[in-house]
Amino acid sequence: MMNSLLVQTIISYLLIFAVPMVLPVVFLKVVGLSGLRTLVTYEARDTPLHKLDPRLKVLYPVGMGILSILFTWKFMLIVFGLTILPWFWLKPSRAKIKVLTVMIIGPAIAGFWGQGMYYLPPPPIHFIYKFPWTMAWLGSPGITTYGMIFGLQQTSRVLVTVSTSMLILISTDVGDFSWAFERFRAPPHVGFALTAALRFLPEMIARTHLVLRAVELRGYDMSRPRWYEFRGWPDYARRLSRCVVLVTVPLLIGTLRGTTTMAMVADARGFGTTKRRGSLRVHKTTAVDIWGYVILVTLVVGALVLNHLGIGARYYG
Amino acid sequence: MSSAALGGQLRADDVSFAYVGAARAALRHVNLRVAPGEVVLITGASGCGKSTLALALCGLIPSRVHGELRGRVMFGATALSGMKPHEASQLVGMVFQNPNLQLINQTVQSEVAFGPENLALPQPEIAARVGWCLDVTGMAGMRTAAIVTLSGGQKQRTAIAATLAMRPRILVLDEPLSDLDPVGAQEVLATLQRLARDGGTGVVIIEHRVDEVAPWADRVVLMDDGRVVLDEPPRAAWADPGPWRATGVGIPDMVRLAYAVPEAFGSRVPLSVVEAANAVKDTWFEEALAAAAEERCNAAGVPAGRPPGQRNGAAVGAGLEAGPAAGPPVLSWDGVSVEFDGRRAVDDVTLAVGEGEWVALIGANGSGKSTLTGLTVGLGKPSAGVVRFRGQPVRPGKVFDHAAQVALLLQAADDMLFETTVLKELEFGFRFRARPKDPVLDVPEAVEFFGFSGREEDSPWELSQGGRQRLALAALLVGAPGVLVLDEPTTGQDADHMRAFLRLLDRVRARTGITIVTVTHDIRGLASRAARIVLLGEGKVRADGPPGRVFAMPGDLIRWGVLAPPLARLQSELLGPAAGEVLLDVDELASTALARRADVERATSPGAGALRP
Repeated sequence: MMNSLLVQTIISYLLIFAVPMVLPVVFLKVVGLSGLRTLVTYEARDTPLHKLDPRLKVLYPVGMGILSILFTWKFMLIVFGLTILPWFWLKPSRAKIKVLTVMIIGPAIAGFWGQGMYYLPPPPIHFIYKFPWTMAWLGSPGITTYGMIFGLQQTSRVLVTVSTSMLILISTDVGDFSWAFERFRAPPHVGFALTAALRFLPEMIARTHLVLRAVELRGYDMSRPRWYEFRGWPDYARRLSRCVVLVTVPLLIGTLRGTTTMAMVADARGFGTTKRRGSLRVHKTTAVDIWGYVILVTLVVGALVLNHLGIGARYYG
Repeated sequence: MSSAALGGQLRADDVSFAYVGAARAALRHVNLRVAPGEVVLITGASGCGKSTLALALCGLIPSRVHGELRGRVMFGATALSGMKPHEASQLVGMVFQNPNLQLINQTVQSEVAFGPENLALPQPEIAARVGWCLDVTGMAGMRTAAIVTLSGGQKQRTAIAATLAMRPRILVLDEPLSDLDPVGAQEVLATLQRLARDGGTGVVIIEHRVDEVAPWADRVVLMDDGRVVLDEPPRAAWADPGPWRATGVGIPDMVRLAYAVPEAFGSRVPLSVVEAANAVKDTWFEEALAAAAEERCNAAGVPAGRPPGQRNGAAVGAGLEAGPAAGPPVLSWDGVSVEFDGRRAVDDVTLAVGEGEWVALIGANGSGKSTLTGLTVGLGKPSAGVVRFRGQPVRPGKVFDHAAQVALLLQAADDMLFETTVLKELEFGFRFRARPKDPVLDVPEAVEFFGFSGREEDSPWELSQGGRQRLALAALLVGAPGVLVLDEPTTGQDADHMRAFLRLLDRVRARTGITIVTVTHDIRGLASRAARIVLLGEGKVRADGPPGRVFAMPGDLIRWGVLAPPLARLQSELLGPAAGEVLLDVDELASTALARRADVERATSPGAGALRP
């Protein structure tokens, strides 16, 4: 029975669509809009990571990102492991860990699942499951072992940058970012744009959440059909897309009102009046900073040297 | 900047202003003076031009808000109208209404340092300014706190500190109290008075909550239709109620009481509860109130000296137990708790609301009021307990299903409008739901009842703010909800709009008999309108009873971040615990006192001195 074309088609259908369908649902259930709000929120605490030189913090994701590009998969594992270590130092709140876990595992599953189906290594190909012709015409002959491994490798490269950036966002006051950018001679507007985005993104998400609730309170049906109610899903998609149009008006009006006030506040507080801003912060370089710089520079330089020597270097061609 | 400018005062000389494209000027020939160290209250009905005047006083008109400006705004010998915003803000600083929109940074100290950093001041100077501003606003202990963790009052004080860091000589605040609970408002007002008295900063407060600001003000300015119609010291400002009545702006309760009982207060108009209490202490008025209170206590069967309902010296929450009207409750919370990030926002609440009741949930910001009412439509999920509507459990997340039973009007009514015309807005709810056979109001009735006749095809955004709130309410009532829940419906409204909205609710109730639950920290009118008050503090029910009884315990109310209405505080101040059940209407209090005086005078022989003159 398992070999019948119909059953094979159904299994293939589930394999192809299960992950893309399940991941957004898992995201909404576990994280949701309110969880996303906490994702980029600074956690004011007194850890060594919080006190680290902001310039080093800005350089850290960049440096680790370079490493993730240069190395092969095995070396990548080491780099990925290194990016996880500082999280134990930071000890984020449980709410953040929950959101971060979903944000990391979600793309990882999506990445290795997608590549598993669509990355085709040179023959001989080892299939975990081969799709029948009724599904193969969609472009994937089946799920391959090497494709999944390749997907995991690529996802890990992305996750190195995600992990390091998140670590820095959670442990750094935006004012420190601005300070670091200014020390790097970036225009003050770069720091201000980042400041405003990080400060107001959670507010915007909260407001979107509120307006979506308001639509329901007004009697707009946002209820999801059960997974087996196939006939209900197109209608749900239609209602969802119509809802996006509906909530745009109050969101836009509210946002425009807010930005007008914010612009006046920034003007009144003298933003943009001088090329170089002053700073409340006086950063005294500590031994931890020096060690941080040494480690980061060693890692990047070491990676470049190894790459040049052909050790652990990715093959392009 | 010249020393003449620094030592001068803020002046608006014959200022008129019209926004681009506006048919009518927002400001018309305004003349105003603000001296250093002076606290000036500017009030007036919504749309009278107060906020526009604030923008002009700070020099943001015409540099950032465009239109036709005539006249001049001067600081000493310096014209603010021609200055750049950051130059003007070092003379006159502006604090906007919503602190969330003006706090750009993530921590308190980085927010306060933002301005001085932009001016490229040396680090020691920035540090000194930040330190001073945080000290003077009482925020020094929260220096490194993240903005998102602050309460409303703390955010507003941070906004004030950030504005002060520019070292302005005059501070203009546009409705700084509108989103604050009474205790938060008092914190902010105390800060402003400190700035004026000790720091010599001139303070201009634009506010509807006249009752709260009046005792702190040196001068009161009343605006109407873009003009200044009155500019006097407080006592003189309320010497003649005419302009106040004409503009529909609320007169402080103590002033109204003094007008209503001139025999007790004489010609001196009290501005605060303490002033009023001192004026009538040991007079016939106090004795008349005491006698009336004793009579009420006897009628209620409660010994004088203890509020009715409070038994055996129990805690407030355990003492006042009103419960719903007879019959099965329409809404109930049974042992409900809600947790956010390990913090209990609602803690083991058991409460029931009877059919046709009007219940007001009061409490400080963050006391769990909105969380509790949100549960009735499935917003949020209790970590323990059950919420029921007419005996059936409310299922968390099923907002669409429960919104048909419980109509929830959010504080930001603008967020509840989605359509292009008034009529479509009223029809909105019937896209997914059949028209009810027995609606609270059908659509044509709602158009008529809420005053939208002839405006059916207008865009909701063409209506006034009050009009939009009415429309959102009407749109909820065209269904068949059993309960109407109003979340902070009068916050930020002037007295006239608030009275109009309360009258509307009275009419809705008279017409439909609908059960109403209001959530508010704005106790000006709403709380006393309700038949029952439930006080929440730190997520728990702390008191539950008729308004007259709950407001008779000002000490307990303050403990939970609520300030009783001035009339209630006056009676408590004069009578202490013997106040029992306080009266909350000025006319009722005045007539009760006068009636008691007459009764006693009739019962005793002339000159016997039963009541002191």
